Amino acid sequence: MVDITQIMRFDDLASKKSPIHNLEGRIKLISTIFIILVCVVSKELFIPIILEIMLLVILKIADLSYMDSFKRLLMLLPFGGAIIIFQPFIQPGNIIWSYSWLHITDVGLNWAILLLVRMIVCLTAIIIYSSTTPLQEMASSFRKLKMPRDLAMILSIMVRFLFLFVDELAAIRKSQKSRNFNIHSKNTPYKWRVKQVGYTIGMMFLKSYEQGERVHKSMVSRGFSDASEMFSEKKSPEKSDYIYLLTIIIMAIILEIILFKFSGQLGYLSQNLAIN
Amino acid sequence: MHIPDGFIPIAQCLVYYVILIVALYFSVKWARSNLDEKRIPLLAVLAAGIFAIMSMNMPIPFGTSGHMVGGALVAIVFLAPEAAVLVFTVVLLIQALIFGDGGITALGANVLNMAIIGGFVGLYTFKGLKGTIGNYPAAGIAAWLATVIAALACAIEMAIAGTFPANIGIPSMVLYHFFIGIIEAVLTVIVLAALDKFRPDLLAWNKSEGDA
Repeated sequence: MVDITQIMRFDDLASKKSPIHNLEGRIKLISTIFIILVCVVSKELFIPIILEIMLLVILKIADLSYMDSFKRLLMLLPFGGAIIIFQPFIQPGNIIWSYSWLHITDVGLNWAILLLVRMIVCLTAIIIYSSTTPLQEMASSFRKLKMPRDLAMILSIMVRFLFLFVDELAAIRKSQKSRNFNIHSKNTPYKWRVKQVGYTIGMMFLKSYEQGERVHKSMVSRGFSDASEMFSEKKSPEKSDYIYLLTIIIMAIILEIILFKFSGQLGYLSQNLAIN
Repeated sequence: MHIPDGFIPIAQCLVYYVILIVALYFSVKWARSNLDEKRIPLLAVLAAGIFAIMSMNMPIPFGTSGHMVGGALVAIVFLAPEAAVLVFTVVLLIQALIFGDGGITALGANVLNMAIIGGFVGLYTFKGLKGTIGNYPAAGIAAWLATVIAALACAIEMAIAGTFPANIGIPSMVLYHFFIGIIEAVLTVIVLAALDKFRPDLLAWNKSEGDA
């Protein structure tokens, strides 16, 4: 599970300056989704691996720390990782290793490797995107890409208040810690601990609901109505933005061609590892 | 329960996205007619709150920790699964984009499990039971069932995707969430009781007793 108090740090990172940070929001969003899509449809290792190398170069250009990004990646692996780790043992195929009832199949192992590589590439793309794009810019990119009005407005206002609740959460954790509250502490009855967590969640729910009502009142008093539109800064993509996106798309096409033409020479990298 | 990118083939992801778009269409329509112009700030700030709630650890025996989902909670507070769909779509979108928690291509499937299935199962279990066993026990059972059915749906999707065979995936996901669901149920009841105490006007069940 991720610690959302980290969000502040991500937004700090995202406000730095670098050629990647300066790209237009929509371009960054589309290129991230494009890379993820290419990766998800790849059944061979070749394309995801080359994409990962490219992403590592982008990471350098964006002036992000390899170490921090790697740590973030590790934090994100658990749920997917748990599913991946079982694959070699549960998928039917030729047995390549066995120990009493436990055995590893070639199909399962290949599939696990493919899933892991796909997951790492997708997460690297997301880490780069979220470390170079402030939340407000993300919300406005969706708005500019014609997300339905209601949803886009909810998203924009939500990200504005996210920081408030993250602050609130950090304050709650601090005060609980200063009183030696620990959800796993055996010194207090289990029922009592669950109750405390319940109260905290209830309070958070109430606070956010009431804050929502106040925000609505203050918006109405400033002239908000159902016909109001959100302001978005008119900033159109520049030549460099298009070059960035085109480079990624052309690269994906070239990789597909290489994979198709030279599948014989690439060996394991061009082998179809997917089971679906 | 957040399915990452790459685990579900793209064609199946598209099916889940179509379901998501249909659900969003009806949810936006519901919000327009039921929450009037208040809907936007209210649901937005509530989504920010749910985001924070989803990252609060809840105590689970055996020393592990999980977090509350709250799909049933939101659906019961508004007496409408549509509210859960709107709130969770933005929450899961931001979680996927910032933390990589749940995939972008799997967004449709994740919203389907946690909000659409979770919200519907939660609300209609609650509605079906509240007459016979009372509001709080009904809400508890509803939240528990919503968690278990959402986990079941997640396991079935993974099985259809070929990523995890049903004979192992379904029992393990359901068994794990059988216990997680109990805590989700207790927390849902505590939150509802607190809301009923401090702001009874917020709970739709207090308003629509007559027409529910």
